[in-house]
Amino acid sequence: MSIAPASIVPPSVTEIRGIDEGPHKAKQADLGEAFANALTEASNTEKTATHSAERFAKGDPTMGIHEVMIASEKANIEIRYATTLKNKAIEAYRELMNTQV
Amino acid sequence: MSTTDFFTAMEVSASGLSAQRTRMNVASSNLANAQTTQAAGGGPYKRRDVVLSSVDVPGMQGSDFSAAVKGVAVTQISQDTNPPRLEYDPGHPQANAQGYVAYPNVNPVEEMVDMITASRAYEAGITAMSTAVNMAEKALGIGR
Repeated sequence: MSIAPASIVPPSVTEIRGIDEGPHKAKQADLGEAFANALTEASNTEKTATHSAERFAKGDPTMGIHEVMIASEKANIEIRYATTLKNKAIEAYRELMNTQV
Repeated sequence: MSTTDFFTAMEVSASGLSAQRTRMNVASSNLANAQTTQAAGGGPYKRRDVVLSSVDVPGMQGSDFSAAVKGVAVTQISQDTNPPRLEYDPGHPQANAQGYVAYPNVNPVEEMVDMITASRAYEAGITAMSTAVNMAEKALGIGR
């Protein structure tokens, strides 16, 4: 049995697709804006949570235990999301400030 | 939006929890009234049953696959149409001409099973909710 020698062709990069600078540059993510949005959202959810806890305490029959718990859990997640964004922004700022010149 | 997708799972679980709570209320109503011979509208108490329907989740309308993801809601509390249980007790104030008293068509064993099912379903809903919360917390911890 004879085996034909394989012709090895080294791989070469002929073209790179998918890198398009134009629209990417125009739409830059603004961390500050994202943080502001997250903070507004967190504030709203926190208000809703407080409101539902108040209604539960006042004996509103439509407000059960789990509704109150869920509302406060949502507020918890939203606030932690806002805090995480804040931490990331500060971290990035510190990283830049520590640049050796 | 950012956190809304995790909240969708929470909203769906919340609707399930509310539905199971209503089921629990109905089961306890049936158990409490298992011996009630006089109900509003005449005759003995009739066993109640919940009718569950899938409904759209609030705040989910604009998002992807909003038609596919459904919450649950109690849309009706129906009355069991089975005939009442007749017991011979001529001295009872509600006894009929033949001396029989009509008791509710409630089977306490059935109600106990209903309560256990509702309790387990409630636990399952809470587990689903905790998993969604855990996922959100894991997502917040990316890169830490």
